[in-house]
Amino acid sequence: MQENLSAAVAAAPGRRKAGITQGWLLLGLGLAMLAAMLVLTIFAPLVAPYDPSATSPDSLAPASAAHWLGTDSIGRDVLSRLIVGGRTTLLITVTAVLIALVAGLILGLAAGYLGGFVDEIIMRVLDVVFAFPVLLLAIAVVAALGPTVPNLILTIAIVYTPAMARVVRAPVLSVKQWDHVEAARSVGMSEMRLVLRHILPIVVSPILVATSLTLSQTIFTVTALSFLGLGPPPPDPNWGGMLSEARQFMELAPLTVVGPAAAIVFATLTFIIIANGLREVLDVGSVR
Amino acid sequence: MTRFVLGRLAWMAAILLGVSLVAFMLMRAIPGDFAIAAAGSQSVGPEVLAAIRRDLGLDQPLLAQYLSWLGHALMGDFGSSFVTRQPVLGELASRLAVTFQLTSLAAIIAAVMGVATGLAAARLRGATDWLVRLWNGLMLAVPNYVVATLIVLLFGLYFPEITVLGYTPFLENPLANLGSLLLPAFALALAVSVTVAENTRAAVLEVANQDFVMVARAKGLKPGTILRDYLMRNALTPVITAAGLKIAALLGGSILVETIFAIPGMGQYLFDSINSRDYPVIQAIVLVAAGIVVLVNTVIDIAYARIDARVQM
Repeated sequence: MQENLSAAVAAAPGRRKAGITQGWLLLGLGLAMLAAMLVLTIFAPLVAPYDPSATSPDSLAPASAAHWLGTDSIGRDVLSRLIVGGRTTLLITVTAVLIALVAGLILGLAAGYLGGFVDEIIMRVLDVVFAFPVLLLAIAVVAALGPTVPNLILTIAIVYTPAMARVVRAPVLSVKQWDHVEAARSVGMSEMRLVLRHILPIVVSPILVATSLTLSQTIFTVTALSFLGLGPPPPDPNWGGMLSEARQFMELAPLTVVGPAAAIVFATLTFIIIANGLREVLDVGSVR
Repeated sequence: MTRFVLGRLAWMAAILLGVSLVAFMLMRAIPGDFAIAAAGSQSVGPEVLAAIRRDLGLDQPLLAQYLSWLGHALMGDFGSSFVTRQPVLGELASRLAVTFQLTSLAAIIAAVMGVATGLAAARLRGATDWLVRLWNGLMLAVPNYVVATLIVLLFGLYFPEITVLGYTPFLENPLANLGSLLLPAFALALAVSVTVAENTRAAVLEVANQDFVMVARAKGLKPGTILRDYLMRNALTPVITAAGLKIAALLGGSILVETIFAIPGMGQYLFDSINSRDYPVIQAIVLVAAGIVVLVNTVIDIAYARIDARVQM
């Protein structure tokens, strides 16, 4: 953003400081939300009040002391299914994004650092993947491979790798021209060490922000796939599948829809808040 | 300029070729025998399968199959559906028209809502700005299919006399047609309007700090004139670009929203085809939808270069 120079000089230090404070607050809030979510899902079998697959004759029950969020159409406890379902949803999300992160890091570093022919090949191939609407490509790949947890993870990883690689490549392109990199190279530092010591640290900040943003988008894609019937196979619950199943009787038991909807929004919001906090704290410009 | 346009078009052709290769390979990657999928049942005799293989050209080398499929697709022949045995093109065209209507309406709603709230946030500042940003932050976290489901739920609970599901063709009743698309378009538009609003807000704030706006104010021009002729004009370019780039999000979102609101568009067609394992239809939709996105992005690139001379560099 270009602003009047005088105004920028006068306001910058104060605004930056306020931004950092705000950033730490956001980051703290986001990490607290994430911790709560992780504790609940990691210890899901201990925390969940009921067996998520156990049916009971008490179907579509409203919220009560026994069933905090009521029961679904075949009498399963909604809260227990939400907690255990978060496990599957978050497992797929986090694993897939980590794979996309590693793949994007390797491809982006290679493309940006080696440049030339390697750069062309890598970026052109990724451009083709990038040309698809994310959800459409994910649907096509899962429909072709079959909806299992490993296939879902692989699909999501493929779909988000190009964006990751782009985020890595851009700073690498400029960093490798910098004097300290030139200096390190001229004293005979090995290529590998050069990349690890001088180039990787520069891309850490944008990568952190991009990873948390991608996590929020992945929650959307994973749950959307499950919503369309391309999620992990039953009977294991997952948030998107729960939302989709509950639609049939939702007017009789609104909580069966509101529960998973709230969980999806909470998880998405968590990663967006972390991303915004990181952006302020690390002073990264807007990362797409 | 001509050089730039030709370059972009060549680039588009290359991407489309890659896209078609991906669409083709995906459907050859399905587990099991493609011929059995085409037959629609496991219990067909070997001679029937052999006939199907010959008909679909599955006995040819993979490259020949791809080239033949691509050639036919370029002529508009996407093969026949495994389920209805009808050519995919006819059904796809009518479905595409419905999706086009839905996404256009959604784009208009998103643009109006986004520009209005973004402008209000940038000009009024204070509490309005704070509220708009809070709303935007929250809406960014609510997926379009959750919005759509909650809309259906709310109408079901509180206005059961209003039908929100289903679709009325335009030729049957234009007004009812618009009515049947309004809620789905809104559900689709909400997330996109957030992006438009954030872009509008940022663009207006940036332009408002420029010297020529200060000069205009110093000359004593009316605030309304400054807003219309100075701020809006300059702020709209990035807004339009950002909104255009959201076409992929709108197309992807329409898959979910059409399925929820029972609108017979391309998204619902894709959903039905996945459930019935109708691979030629899935393949055609993937190709056409990705093609549209690539095409629109290229058009935006070129249009942007025309509007903004700096891009050409």
